[in-house]
Amino acid sequence: MSPATPDLAFERHVLDNGLRIVLHRNASLPLVALNLWYHVGSRNERPGRTGFAHLFEHMLFQGSEHIATHDHFRYVQQVGGVANGSTWFDRTNYYETLPAHQLDLALWLESDRMGFFLPALTQENLDTQREVVMNERRQRIENQPYGLAAERLHELLYPEGHPYHWPVIGYMEDIAAATLEEVRAFFRTYYTPNNSVLTLVGDFQPEDALERIAAWFGEIPSGPPVPPVSAPLPPLGGERRAVLPDDVRLPRVHIGFRAPAYGQRLWYAADLLAAVLASGKSSPLYRELVYERQIAQDVGASVGPYESAGTFMLAATARPGVAIETLEEALLRAVGRAAAEPPDPADLERARNRMLTDFYSTLQKLDSLADLFSQFTTYFDDPAGVAGEAERYLEITSRDLMDYAAGWCTEPERVVVTVVPRQAS
Amino acid sequence: MQNGEGRMANGELKMTNQKDSPHSQFAIRHSAFKVDRTSPPPPGEIRPFRFPPFLRTRLANGLTVAAARLPGLPLISIEMVSPAGGQFDPEGQEGIAALSAAVLDEGTVRRSSMEIAAFAERLGGYFTSGADWDVGYLATGLLADHLVSGLELLAEVAVSPTFPEAEIERLRRQRLAEILRRAHDPSALADDRFQREVYRGTVYAHPLLGDRESISRLDRDSLSAFYRRHYGLAGSALIAVGDFEPAALLREVERAFALAAPLPAAPAPPEIRPAPLPGISVHVVDRPGAAQTELRLGHPGVPRTHPDHVPLVVLNTLLGGKFTSRINMNLRERHGYTYGASSRFAARMGPGPFLVSAAVATQSAGAAAREVLHELQRIREALVEPEELDETRSYIVGVFPYTVQTIGDLAKRLETLIVFGLPDDHYTRNLERIAGVSREEILEVARRHLDPERIAVVAVGPAETLEPQLAGLGAVTVWGPQEELEPVQPGSM
Repeated sequence: MSPATPDLAFERHVLDNGLRIVLHRNASLPLVALNLWYHVGSRNERPGRTGFAHLFEHMLFQGSEHIATHDHFRYVQQVGGVANGSTWFDRTNYYETLPAHQLDLALWLESDRMGFFLPALTQENLDTQREVVMNERRQRIENQPYGLAAERLHELLYPEGHPYHWPVIGYMEDIAAATLEEVRAFFRTYYTPNNSVLTLVGDFQPEDALERIAAWFGEIPSGPPVPPVSAPLPPLGGERRAVLPDDVRLPRVHIGFRAPAYGQRLWYAADLLAAVLASGKSSPLYRELVYERQIAQDVGASVGPYESAGTFMLAATARPGVAIETLEEALLRAVGRAAAEPPDPADLERARNRMLTDFYSTLQKLDSLADLFSQFTTYFDDPAGVAGEAERYLEITSRDLMDYAAGWCTEPERVVVTVVPRQAS
Repeated sequence: MQNGEGRMANGELKMTNQKDSPHSQFAIRHSAFKVDRTSPPPPGEIRPFRFPPFLRTRLANGLTVAAARLPGLPLISIEMVSPAGGQFDPEGQEGIAALSAAVLDEGTVRRSSMEIAAFAERLGGYFTSGADWDVGYLATGLLADHLVSGLELLAEVAVSPTFPEAEIERLRRQRLAEILRRAHDPSALADDRFQREVYRGTVYAHPLLGDRESISRLDRDSLSAFYRRHYGLAGSALIAVGDFEPAALLREVERAFALAAPLPAAPAPPEIRPAPLPGISVHVVDRPGAAQTELRLGHPGVPRTHPDHVPLVVLNTLLGGKFTSRINMNLRERHGYTYGASSRFAARMGPGPFLVSAAVATQSAGAAAREVLHELQRIREALVEPEELDETRSYIVGVFPYTVQTIGDLAKRLETLIVFGLPDDHYTRNLERIAGVSREEILEVARRHLDPERIAVVAVGPAETLEPQLAGLGAVTVWGPQEELEPVQPGSM
């Protein structure tokens, strides 16, 4: 099946201060989605201040020179808009979707915090957001069954000092230690027009929108180049294991392998292999472990899209009475088979079509499409890459899948994290 | 809906003429456009929004069909809903609605469980079935080229399921393990305890999944009898959204369901009348050493079709239904107790709950519960500020187009019309009515439908720390982490 042809036409521009702009018109609804990516994430942090990029993201919703502490969301919501932001290893994004006639409001809000953030910064707001973020960490990680497993897996897969070693949300004591002066320095270093991409998707006239963007953002001075992050990644040289006792009844095993950086051909092979192995009830791992042998409650596989590496993770939860080692063996056997033999053609077809429907599903929403344009522009300086994303999966062959599995998931290079019931530990 | 215009006939991706050129260096030094940063910029000209046109009709075989065309992307979603939700679970057979729905796609006269899944998944899609409180559903999503085969599969599953013994047994074991897992999931524990306490003595009290005993009792006969009682075409509706012609779809639906045997009409939904709570009752589910506390406060609410629905939407949005709501601003932005707090009136055919939820720092659980009660009291005592009412009404009206972007969004909207028997112009009329809701009306419905003095407070976390904080609110009962356990200590009533 060849990909259909959604309209992904765009214009791109750059302001004198280095701000890159992508415009994609889609007037099917009277909405505009504004999306900004700053090329800074947890990888730019240092040990002792982990979680800082994310805490900073919270601070950017606490007002700026012309916008009072709680007014960012207020201005957006009172006209019927939605807003949010998110932090990842490699980037931080901020976005809002508003009724199309409120484009200037979105530009005002985003340009104010890019250009006029520091005067609004207060210790009181930092104190509150530290509490909020510590509660976010508790809610997402510490109070979730199996919540610490992915964090532990990263710590083992990427050595100490490597920027993917620590979790995006950071460690509790580091979140608590953040200071106001560090917030100021972080802003000056990373929140510059030359370190960001602005995408606008929706119902607007491109020439008019460009003029408005230039007026709101053009006067913000560019900053010095962002300090590079060094991320040498020596081979693991052996299997790393951890056992985490947790308040759970059913044990779960997580197996992690490294993968190439997002964008490389074998990254797509890894992602497609994850879908071949475990996406859907008819996938071989679900069929074997959950459906036929009934030794697993669930099974999943996923690949993290990181800018300078990838993480391929398999996980399965044991049925009551099933030894977790049985699941570990079954998962490793499946990976071994993937290295040695081509996948069943039906599984490959299922995985490719799944990637197509996932891609089209993403395009349905203006804000997720805007996010894709920002992503391809930030990582590859190439907004046209969005349109090729489905094709990149369709081009992956059985040989590529075997090459990835054989080259990256071989014996010593893996991490196994097992979560076990606390009583049994 | 002119999204499809951009598609090109030759099958190539349309790309901008600038794709191969270097960045156009763009700088406006003397822009005619001047910015004033000191206050919010004025809006431009409002562009109209119309709810997408859709078709709703009833076929000769009794099946209702609702369909909307959403062009632009080659995706379709098809679902069938039947009056077969958890509210129909007979006493002693709790979970039969959920299990019978789940077993529908486990085998037909022509296909096995795995063949059904493989067929849809090979086409890039999914096939699923399940039940909520109101309806049982079958749903599939596929690439648009496969509309007809997807429809045929759905019809086959809907009219000729075979309820294989082995699949029933497999699903039963999976559910029993799921119950074990939920007993260690703080959020699920909080929700389950909340509904047990608030709906004691009614069908809403049990988990939709059922419990260990009731699931063990269900067998092939009871499941297929439930199916025959609840999945007749005359009570069911098919909802399809995607890039297709609705008229052509109708013909295909008629063809696909031609062989359906007539089934008797489904029974009417039961009357669900929860008794008012006697006062403030506090339930602590003990998880020693937990990193945080899952907090729930609430009481029975009203059916989705209640005449106060529109003012209640405005009330709830202002109170806890958006980021800038009173409850979230209080608990998160003022106090930092939580990453987020929200409230809702659940939309059900019967009186679903009014429920406030938040995951809070354990040492602040008592303070957080008191702040929620304070907000419920405050909104019953005084008129809301004119400004916050304006902001709330314009939020609800303004955000509506954002909530109907995807085929899934639109399918859900059509399903709501059908399940609750609402007219075709329901959304348009609701949006008009919302703009007219007054402060007095908000106060009136707050007094009528919120009651901080007859409310259940559920906290899942370390009882040792929680009990002293919550003891002042009302009688505290402490529960063990497993739902089947009796209270670990008697309530201090």
